[in-house]
Amino acid sequence: MNPILKVERLSKHFLLHMRGVRVPSCDGVNLEVHSGRLTALTGPTGSGKSSVLKCIYRTYLPSAGQILFRNGNEDIVDMASASEHTVLELRRRDIAFVTQFLHCLPRKSALDVVAAPLYDQGVSQKRGRDCAAELLSRLSVPERLWDLPPATFSGGEKQRVNLARGLIARPRLLLLDEPTASLDPLTSERVVQLINHMKSEGMAMLAIFHHPELVAKLADNVIKLASPSDGNLAPEASL
Amino acid sequence: MKKILEIRGLSKVHGHKCPLCCDFTGPKHDTNICRHCNSIVAIHDISLDLYEGEILGIMGESGSGKSSIVKTIFFDEIPTDGDALFFDNNEQYSLFTINAARQRWLRNHRFGMVYQSPHLGLNFSISAGGNIAERLLMSDLFHYGDIRKRALELLSRTEVPSERMDQSPGKFSGGMQQRVQIAKALATRPPLLLLDEVTSGLDLSVQARILDLILEIQRDLGTAMIVVTHDLGVVRLLTGRTIVLKNGRIVEHGLTDQVLEDPQDAYTQQLVASAL
Ligand SMILES: [Zn+2]
Repeated sequence: MNPILKVERLSKHFLLHMRGVRVPSCDGVNLEVHSGRLTALTGPTGSGKSSVLKCIYRTYLPSAGQILFRNGNEDIVDMASASEHTVLELRRRDIAFVTQFLHCLPRKSALDVVAAPLYDQGVSQKRGRDCAAELLSRLSVPERLWDLPPATFSGGEKQRVNLARGLIARPRLLLLDEPTASLDPLTSERVVQLINHMKSEGMAMLAIFHHPELVAKLADNVIKLASPSDGNLAPEASL
Repeated sequence: MKKILEIRGLSKVHGHKCPLCCDFTGPKHDTNICRHCNSIVAIHDISLDLYEGEILGIMGESGSGKSSIVKTIFFDEIPTDGDALFFDNNEQYSLFTINAARQRWLRNHRFGMVYQSPHLGLNFSISAGGNIAERLLMSDLFHYGDIRKRALELLSRTEVPSERMDQSPGKFSGGMQQRVQIAKALATRPPLLLLDEVTSGLDLSVQARILDLILEIQRDLGTAMIVVTHDLGVVRLLTGRTIVLKNGRIVEHGLTDQVLEDPQDAYTQQLVASAL
């Protein structure tokens, strides 16, 4: 079967003009992601795992290589060079990114934060909130929190809100950056169940997990990134 | 997605303008004042596209020329050079070549503007409701009762209490003045809304309420917007794409998260670093 995502010789470095330095992040990364399967990215800190995800989502501009995404019409789009509007359209319909951090407006309720990707597709508030409620309950987020803004939530609650938001529009490709970093074992198990369910429905996933046991439980294949070769600063530490 | 606005080579020079103006201003020279003729090159060679329902950010420090872009689109300023096409249903308007009456019609019906200073957008000698009625009178509503009803709807949409309708906006808080401006701008349901530093100088909680309102409007009405701001937080929350301006030139453009997390230009890197 054709992969939904094929990354070829992806490299990313940062040119920091003020300091006149070039900071390497990831180098020569190759990987494939298939529908209904989860590919896990592993490797030591500084090996550029998060950079790979950010390049795929185009939060980072790749320095070299190709990021070939197969859209719903079976057309291949290179995320590294696609136009801004093409990328925005793919983000709206096909690709979602769940990071550890949640950016949202202070007045929005958890239900509306989770349902936002559906609103962007023109779904009504009523239907959006129903879908959001279903996901939040599957992720054991207490119902008393649903109408409150997530800004006040605990780290683990925020993460589950974030995950629900990433899943709600059923993207064809989901990028996950440590989605369970601050969850207790029981909630973590709920997340595992939900991820497995989404996989069985055909969602393709590329994920970084904090815990090796999650890789063992969820990954269909594993891509291990090498540690940075020349001992340079990791980009997170220097930006 | 359909394109709603296409701007090509937009320039605005204040002053006599000499042949050297453009070569001796801009980011490379770190000025927009021509040292040969003292003209001010507010913006030079600006090109951008805006699509239906999207929010584009124009980010820059004061003096970068960012307001000049929206002011020329709204016909507050006459550009020195450049073209702008506005696509409206099946019509297409070349903004800077159509006659003044046509421009006025677009300004009153199809564009909305919210200024940083409520004094520019509102008439303080009449009531909040009157300000909105003024704009509604230029559209297709003529009946007093209809106008009052619609003004009330708009004010409630922007969370201005109905009992404030007959008061002068001069008595309102800064946040409420901006919400009245937004209500007025939306009165004719324009497909294009221009927002020029609309939350500058307001408290954070007041700002948040207005930013929230702007996103709701975009979601509910599908209004395309250009948001001019120096505030990276505003850009991050509201916009999908961003243009970075320095000394009247575009130094960088891209998806907003990319511009903020992986800025390419030295100036943008400095701007983002100083905001951390
Ligand atoms: Zn000159």
